[in-house]
Amino acid sequence: MILVQQLVLGLLVGGLYGLAAAGLSLVFGVLKVLNVAHGELIMLGGYGAFWLWVLLGFDPLLALPLVVAGALAFGVLLYWGLFAFVVRAHEETRIKNSLLIGFGLALATHALAVRLWTADERSITTTYAGAVLSLGPIAIPLVRLASLVLAFALIGALHLLLQRWRWGRAIRATAEDWEAAALTGIDVRRAYLLAFAIGTGLAGAAGTLVSVGYSISPSIGLEWTLKALIVVVLAGLGSMLGTFVGGLVLGLAEAASAFAFGGPYREVVGLVIFLAVLVARPRGLFAR
Amino acid sequence: MSRRGWLALGVTALAALAAVPLVVRRDDVLNFLFLVLLSVALAQSWNVVAGYAGQINLGHAAFFGLGALVTRTLWIAEWPVLAGAALGALAATAFALLVGAVAFRLRGAYFAIGTLALGEILRITVGNVLPEVSTLPTATIGAYRLADRYYFALALAAVAVGVVAALERSRAGLGMQAVREDEEAAEASGVGTLRLKLLALVLSTALAGLAGGLFAYYHISYYPAHPFGPHWTFDALLITFIGGVGTVHGPVLGAIFYVFLKEYLAIRWVDFHLLIFGALFITIVLLLPGGLVEAAARLRTLARRAC
Amino acid sequence: MLEVEAVEAAYGPFLALSGVTLRVGPGEIVALLGPNGAGKTTLIRCVTGLLVPRAGRIRFGGAEIVGLLPHAIVERGLAVVPEGRRLFGGMTVEENLDLGAFTPHARAGLGRGRERIYEIFPILRERRRQLAGTLSGGQQQMVAIGRALMAAPRLLILDEPSLGLAPRIVETILGVIGEINRGGVSILLVEQNVQAALGLAHRAYILEAGRVAGEGSGPALLQDPHVRRAYLGPLASLPGSRPPLP
Repeated sequence: MILVQQLVLGLLVGGLYGLAAAGLSLVFGVLKVLNVAHGELIMLGGYGAFWLWVLLGFDPLLALPLVVAGALAFGVLLYWGLFAFVVRAHEETRIKNSLLIGFGLALATHALAVRLWTADERSITTTYAGAVLSLGPIAIPLVRLASLVLAFALIGALHLLLQRWRWGRAIRATAEDWEAAALTGIDVRRAYLLAFAIGTGLAGAAGTLVSVGYSISPSIGLEWTLKALIVVVLAGLGSMLGTFVGGLVLGLAEAASAFAFGGPYREVVGLVIFLAVLVARPRGLFAR
Repeated sequence: MSRRGWLALGVTALAALAAVPLVVRRDDVLNFLFLVLLSVALAQSWNVVAGYAGQINLGHAAFFGLGALVTRTLWIAEWPVLAGAALGALAATAFALLVGAVAFRLRGAYFAIGTLALGEILRITVGNVLPEVSTLPTATIGAYRLADRYYFALALAAVAVGVVAALERSRAGLGMQAVREDEEAAEASGVGTLRLKLLALVLSTALAGLAGGLFAYYHISYYPAHPFGPHWTFDALLITFIGGVGTVHGPVLGAIFYVFLKEYLAIRWVDFHLLIFGALFITIVLLLPGGLVEAAARLRTLARRAC
Repeated sequence: MLEVEAVEAAYGPFLALSGVTLRVGPGEIVALLGPNGAGKTTLIRCVTGLLVPRAGRIRFGGAEIVGLLPHAIVERGLAVVPEGRRLFGGMTVEENLDLGAFTPHARAGLGRGRERIYEIFPILRERRRQLAGTLSGGQQQMVAIGRALMAAPRLLILDEPSLGLAPRIVETILGVIGEINRGGVSILLVEQNVQAALGLAHRAYILEAGRVAGEGSGPALLQDPHVRRAYLGPLASLPGSRPPLP
C-alpha cells in the first residue's frame, strides 16, 4: 500500500514535470536554444504567485492567469534582451552560447532571488491546502490533484494552439525547418519570439502550481531544469502530449526508486534514465 | 612572446611564488594567493575539455566534488592526503568516462545536459546521504599549516598550466581544436574524435578531482555537498571566459582578475557578486568571446595602427 | 521583374558568386543552368534573402530587396520551390499548402488558392489529410509547387524541381510550370535536366564557377556546341549520331 501511495504521489508530481518540460521542449525545438535557466523561470513564477497571495490575498487559481500573463511579458523582454542575440549564430554556436548564457542567467537569478526573498522555503497554504481525497488507504492531496488536472489542461491548450492557430502552425513549421518556413513567408523571428514567450508563460504556470502543492525557494531552479531536461530527453521533441506522458513516467520512476532504494537516492533515477535513453536510442532524440 | 620566453616567465613566476611563504608572514596574502592558484587549477581543468575540445561541461562541480569527497574521507581515515587526492581524481575520471562514453557518441548538447544532470544529482544525493558538516579531527586542526596547502595549490596550478601548454602544441591538442572547430570535418579528415574527446575529458576531470582534493585539504569544515554546488562550475566557466577560453594564459589572467574582484565585491556588496558576475559573464559570451586575451590583442592592433 | 546586378557572395573565405548579372522579364521563363557547385543555389539564396550578398544589387519589381528578410520578399510576390522540396514533413498536405499563404497579401485568397492547387494536382485533394512526409517524391514536389503558388507570386523560382523524379512525373511537372507561366507568372527555373529546361524556357543563363558563362534563347543554346558538349553528354555533341548498338 505504501508503494501505491508513493506511486500516486509520483504521478501527481509527474504532471508538473511534464508541464515544466513542455516549455523547455518548445523553446528548444523551435529556437534550437537550450535554456538551462528554465527552472529559474519556474522559480520566479512560483514567487509571483506566492507574493500575489501574501500581499494581495489572491487565490492561486486567480493568480495563475496573472502569473502566466506576467511570464509571457517577461519572456518577451528576455528574448529581446538576450536570446535574440543568441539565435543569430549558426546552430552549433547557438546551442553552446545558449547553454553558457542560460547557466550564467540561472546563477545570477538565483543570487538575486536569495537577495530579494531570502533562501527560505515558501509555500502557499490556502484554507483548502490540507484537503485530502481518501480512496481506502490511499490519500490524494486535493491541491496536487488539481495541479495535475490543470497541468494537463494547459498542455492540451498548448497542443490545440499549435495545431489550430495560424502562428501555432508557423511555430511548428519553424521548428521543422526554419529556412523553409522563412521561404513560405513566415517571419521566423516572430515565431521565435512567440515560442520563447509561450515557453516562459508555461514556466510561470508550472511555478504557480509548484508553489501551491509543493514549496519554492531560490535554489529550486536547477532541480526543475534538470527534471525538464530529463523529460525532454525521455520524450523527444515534437509532441507536447508525449512530453506530458514523459513527465508522468519520470514521476512514477522516481517514486518507484525511492520506494526501492530509499528517499535519498530518488534523484539518481533521473541520471540513470538519461544514460539509458542515450544508450537505447543512440541516434539521438533531438534528431527527427 | 617566444616559446622560450613563456617558459622563462613560467619558471620565474613559479620560483617567486614558491618563495612567498618564506618571505611573507601574513596569512591573508597567502590565502589570497591560494585562492588564485586553486582558481587557476579549476579553470584550466574546465578549459581543457571546453576550450580545447569544445565540449561544454556544465557539471564540472561533480568532478571537483567527487575529488573532495574521496580525498576528505580517506584523509580523515588517516591515509596520506596525496594518496587520497590521487584516488579522488581517479573516482572523478571514472565517473566522467561513464557519462562521456555514452554522451560523446552523440554530438551537440548531450554532453552538456549529461554533465549538468550528473552534477546536480550528485549534489542532491550527497546532501541527502551526508547531511552533517565534515570537520577535521582536533589533532589535525592543531597541526594545520596554511603553507602546506599553498604548496599543494602551487604544484597543482603549475601542473594544470603545464598540461594545457603541452596540449596547445601536441598533436592531440591540435586534433582537439579541430574537433572544436568542426567536428564533422575533423571526423572526415581521419581524426579520431571520440578518442580525443575522451582524452580531454580524462585530463580535465583528473585535474578537477585533484582541485577538489585540494579543497578538502584546505577547509577545516564544510558540508560534503558544498563542493558539488553549481557555483564551482560557474567559477570555472567565468574565469576561463574572462581570461580567454582556449588559451594557456587566459585562465591565469582570469583567475587573478576574478579572485581580486570577488574579494573586493564580497566586502562591498555581500550577496551581489554572483549577480554582477552573471551579468559580466553573459556580456563576455555575447560580446567578447575571447575574453581579456582577445581584448588585449585588439588593443595592441589599435595601438599599432595609431603609430 | 527580377534584376540581379554584379552580385558577389561568399561562405567565409570561399567566394561562391563573383559578379553575377541576370534578369527575368515579366511573363518570361528563364532557365538557369550549370554544373553542381557553380553557384546556382547560392544565387537563389541571395535572391530569396537567406544569404546577404557581399556586393551587388538585386531588384524585384523595381525595388531593391537586398537586406530584406525572406518573409518580406515573399510578401512582395517572389515565391520559391526550394531544392529538395523542404516540406514540413510532420504536417498534413493541407497544412503545408495553407502555410504557403501565410503572408497577409496571400491570406485573402487562401480558399480560392487551395481550390486552384487541387484542380492542378487532383491527387493532392485526395491526400490532403495525409502527412506530407509520407507522400511519394512526385507528390511531394506537387505540394512544394502548390505551397509556393499559394503565396500568389508574380515570380516563381524553382530549384531543381525534377531532381530524383521518374520521367513521367517530370513531364507532368514541367507541363504545370508552363501552365503557371501562361497564367502570367514569371519563372526562374534552375535545372539539371538541360534538354527539358531549354525546351521550356524562353531564355537561359549558364552559370559556371560563380559567374555567367553564357546566355541566350533556349533553342539557340540547344544548338550551341559548348552547351551540347558540357551538358548534354558526349553523344549529343555529334548531331544525328545514335547510341551504339549493344
